[in-house]
Amino acid sequence: MTDNLQYVGGSYPVHDVAQKVTGELVYGSDFSVPGMLHAKLILSAIPHGIVKRIDASRAEALPGVVKVFTCFNSPMDRFCRARIHPGQDLSPHDETLFSEHVRFVGDRVAAVVATTMATAQAAAALVEVDYEELPPLLTVDDALASDDILVHSTGNVAYEHEVDKGERPDLEGAVIVSSATSTPRVHHAALEPHVCIAQGHSTGGMTVWTTSQGVYAARTVIAELLHMEYHRVRVIKVPMGGSFGGKTEYIIEPVVAFLARETHRAVKLLLDREECMIATMARPATRTSIRTACTPDGELLDFEAATTLDAGAYASSTPDYSIHMCKKVTKVYRVPHYQHRSRAVLTNTPVGGAARGWGAPEMAAATEIHMDRVAAALRLDPVELRLKNMVEPFDTDLVTGLPLGDARVRECLERGAVAFDWAARRARPAGRGRFRRGVGVAAGAHKNGMFGAFPEASNMSLKMNEDGTFELNASLHEVGCGIVTTMKVIVAEVLGVHPDRIAAGEADTATTPFDYGTYGSRVTYVVGACARATAEKVKQRLLAAAADLLKESVTHLYVRDGAVRLRHDDERAIAYRDIARLGEMRHVPSIAASVSYFAVSNPASYSVQFAEVEVDCATGLTAVTDFLAVADVGRAINRGMVEAQYQGAVQMGIGYALYEHLDVDERGRSGIDGFKNYHIVNAPDMPDVQVLLVEHEGDDGPFGAKSVGEIATVPTGPAIVNAVNNALGTELSDLPLVPERIIAALHEPEEVPACSSC
Amino acid sequence: MTEIVTPEAIDELVAALAEATPRTRLLAGGTDLVRAIRQPGTEPDVIIDLTGLAELSYVRLDGETLRIGATTTFAELQGDSLVREHALCLGLAAAQVGSAQIRNIGTIGGNIANASPCADSATALTALGAALTTVDGAGSVNTRPIAEVLLGPNRTSLAHNEAITEFSFAALGPEHRSAFAKIGSRTAVSVARLSAALVVRFDAAAGTLADVRVALGAVGGAAFRAAALERALEGRPADEESARLFAEGCVAAVQDSIPGRYSLPYKQHAAVGLAYDAWNGLALISPPCEPAWS
Amino acid sequence: MQLLLTVNGMAHEVEAHPTARLLDVLRDQLGLTGTKEGCAEGECGACTVIVDGRAVNSCVMLAVQARGKKIVTVEGLADDGELDLLQRKFVEYGAVQCGYCTPGMLMSAKALLLANPVPSEQDIRIALAGNLCRCTGYTAIVAAVKAASGQDATPAIVLPGEADELAVEASTDPETLAVVDEVVEAATAELAERGAQAPDDLSSAGPEGGE
Repeated sequence: MTDNLQYVGGSYPVHDVAQKVTGELVYGSDFSVPGMLHAKLILSAIPHGIVKRIDASRAEALPGVVKVFTCFNSPMDRFCRARIHPGQDLSPHDETLFSEHVRFVGDRVAAVVATTMATAQAAAALVEVDYEELPPLLTVDDALASDDILVHSTGNVAYEHEVDKGERPDLEGAVIVSSATSTPRVHHAALEPHVCIAQGHSTGGMTVWTTSQGVYAARTVIAELLHMEYHRVRVIKVPMGGSFGGKTEYIIEPVVAFLARETHRAVKLLLDREECMIATMARPATRTSIRTACTPDGELLDFEAATTLDAGAYASSTPDYSIHMCKKVTKVYRVPHYQHRSRAVLTNTPVGGAARGWGAPEMAAATEIHMDRVAAALRLDPVELRLKNMVEPFDTDLVTGLPLGDARVRECLERGAVAFDWAARRARPAGRGRFRRGVGVAAGAHKNGMFGAFPEASNMSLKMNEDGTFELNASLHEVGCGIVTTMKVIVAEVLGVHPDRIAAGEADTATTPFDYGTYGSRVTYVVGACARATAEKVKQRLLAAAADLLKESVTHLYVRDGAVRLRHDDERAIAYRDIARLGEMRHVPSIAASVSYFAVSNPASYSVQFAEVEVDCATGLTAVTDFLAVADVGRAINRGMVEAQYQGAVQMGIGYALYEHLDVDERGRSGIDGFKNYHIVNAPDMPDVQVLLVEHEGDDGPFGAKSVGEIATVPTGPAIVNAVNNALGTELSDLPLVPERIIAALHEPEEVPACSSC
Repeated sequence: MTEIVTPEAIDELVAALAEATPRTRLLAGGTDLVRAIRQPGTEPDVIIDLTGLAELSYVRLDGETLRIGATTTFAELQGDSLVREHALCLGLAAAQVGSAQIRNIGTIGGNIANASPCADSATALTALGAALTTVDGAGSVNTRPIAEVLLGPNRTSLAHNEAITEFSFAALGPEHRSAFAKIGSRTAVSVARLSAALVVRFDAAAGTLADVRVALGAVGGAAFRAAALERALEGRPADEESARLFAEGCVAAVQDSIPGRYSLPYKQHAAVGLAYDAWNGLALISPPCEPAWS
Repeated sequence: MQLLLTVNGMAHEVEAHPTARLLDVLRDQLGLTGTKEGCAEGECGACTVIVDGRAVNSCVMLAVQARGKKIVTVEGLADDGELDLLQRKFVEYGAVQCGYCTPGMLMSAKALLLANPVPSEQDIRIALAGNLCRCTGYTAIVAAVKAASGQDATPAIVLPGEADELAVEASTDPETLAVVDEVVEAATAELAERGAQAPDDLSSAGPEGGE
């Protein structure tokens, strides 16, 4: 491993930390422009029906109300909220600004625009909506069984996908194991609610301030919907308080843009917590059944899976999700034959879509719970079974045909098992007392960008200022995990200056070059590689300018600490600011570069996680008493942030395994309206998470780095479920393991409540 | 527009109550009220702001009676030495209400007036046999047992022009032990799914229990005393068998209070854990008792 | 109604609706947007401020309740631009990611340290139980608070020092500097000379385009 790096591998705070600890940073929810109006949505109160009549007269009579926009007085052009670039047609255009055919409790019916938030709220309560109710399809089974009731006219199955790879070998004497796992609909629960501001200018143009994760696609959706030329729509990424995928899709941006254009003003739409939970998007509920055949000593021969996702009321990105869930298992395990059928089913429930891990946590839950069943059937230790089947570095992914790159999942498992003292803990009996301890392990994989599925590239430019500092111009979308800092550290390493000498901002379609945005685990691997390539080009210019002045060959020169230096004479150096002086006066080409970087690979990132739990068999409450996350990260650019991201990701995974679920009742209502009844793990219940990094620097990321943010939460849920099953001797496979499920499993095993959301 | 009235003495409070209508609200900590009045259409005509009434915030030992002012906060109860000595189960309950932020401003009077069936303080006060003193717009002062005030989920017998001023009960003495247990959805900051408060007078010489009081909360419409269970434990030795009977009795009481309810299968089992937590909280026997597992 | 509030040591006369929350007055009328709204129901703690030394959720408190009390928001922690110890530890221990929970966390932690200057880890977690975070998993935050209380915490993340300490100030050696100065002087002279020539000649003497 390369050890002579000056900045890469250090620990840095997020670039705007000073503004965050002083409360100075203006987030989207803090943002305002003079004369700004406020919007409030009116949402459907029923899960399925047709809006027959809207009476907004009392609302519009309130002083300060500008207008009430409804499905009857607004365009009904369709758009798709899940967009990456123009022309992409994986997800249907099935959504309108306001719905006449309402499809879930939370569907947008109208919006009030008023001079103050309080007025908008008061007016929204005065809007009367009459519906003709239609029978709702509240579960996937109901939707699949229904021929005549359709969520969308195209049918209730939004998408179907199948993979069938490899050759099924002879299964004579094989041990067959089956399992069925369900995962719940969950809320991303970023602390900042969804918000967007747009301003319609009298030039006919528009500015949009968004917290979404991709400004260019936001522009595409808005411009196409409102029939505007792209150069008239400016979309700016403003600071946001977390997303985790919940702000990837363009849910409120089109609405706010429309309101801004219609009113020729600035309009701000800030959702409250309940609206965020039910009217934006959620991680879709899934169920997956798996059937494997393996040899009696544990070698996988055949892996068959079937997945059904609850897409909710609009297809959103669930078609892509369906495809991606079929691409997870073979990143981790070698198997001769892999078959997977998946489908996304529409229901009259909150919309499912992008969430951290993009199907990997859902599929890892099913796979890793299944692997423990296999281990039990074969009387093998769970670690031992996995070691018999894991991929090796530079294997090819059976499903995608892409190289997995320097895949170190096996090493993660081996080193983690030692660090966690797995064998000893596993050998300890759980006992039959009130409090029972168990340990569990799970492995997972995720990708590094979209190479292989989309044309994957990034564009950036970098220039040097007259004083030897630098400015990076890139469409960065900071979501809180230190993206801007990562780019600065990469550029700093190449140019031999401290990261604080580099300025970098966030995306603005008017000024920063095209980049898809922060999703798909592409930022470190692809955007970061672009940053490195751009910095390298600038470095070449610095070296060339110095070579010319010093009359030396470029090969005799190197950069360090803000100057170009001579290898064989450490007395000689020319500081960057003096190179800049030359540039001003002597026609030296400006020290700047623009680069378009095209990804050349898409390896897998891995994590293996170990959990120890203690279950209170009297109350059904489970405590996570110890946790180790092992991470194959290639190379940590910002070591402290990698560890911190893993700690946060485990918090999310614990919630997934034990607490969080957004179900709807028989009237299609969620009954969950905020954090009071939707519990995310708080400080007293959070264990200290140990993080162990495996760094082999293979692959094409900057300095060998691979993705971190999504993989970190992939195996957490099943590690905990497996630990609970170890503690109790149960085979629970319906997440979350709320106390009711645990108590029922202990006392009435035949009556364990199933997941009600799919 | 809502009018805010901030009385600074009891007579001013009475005067404000005299003007109260059914749309008038009393403001103590505000943690329940502020949310309730922000829905469009729920604006009160008058808010009587009790935070100016310092004289309603106190904990006093008055002979054998412990008196607690209605605007005493949970943080104050949690840290109060008189509460710790003479009403431990109430102090323990107070420590588990919400988060530190909520405890710093939420009041016992506000909590009881809101009458959530899951209110931790209600369970403890019920076990302590607390009485509530109120004052109304006519200046009448009334004292009645808590069971006559808490009628059901978010329902009290308080009139719209009536304010709680004080909670009072016989102070527990040196021979008393009390405990509070709660089962939520997580360790901290959770509404109770089950709660129990247990008070006994322990005769150390004879090793027996007397003056047994068992209150259960978060099952049924309001906290209640499990009278049959109290009688069954009266005079019993402080031993494992009594712990087992206590647990059985709690389960039976839970089953009787929420028959057919969706949560019954869970709660009747979890009640065993609740019971043992409460029993062990009395610290009568060492080591703590464990339920027998099959 | 007219309210006199003392916020971060300064008195303010505000005109507020009677049912305005303290959060609304702080953010909308006093422009102190450091205090955040995350849930409007007193569950997430993003709105935490300190009132008379105690942490409270400003989203479930009416502004009128804050009359006559000393209110401190996150903007009141730093002293004339100098971060206070707790803020510095949050920076040093990597306790900030998206930062939305950070003001509330700081205020809850500050209130804890005012009442309990040397808290245990359990004390810290209980004090922060009403402050939700989705990014950090709380470990770095707890470590930062412990460090701010002067206790030896094993930091989850330790950061290098400031740019000035670390980066050697780059300088050009005298010999090379002389060459640079010479080149620059010559170029300056050349340009000055060109400037004196007829305008037509300038068309051939533009700088080489950047690549």
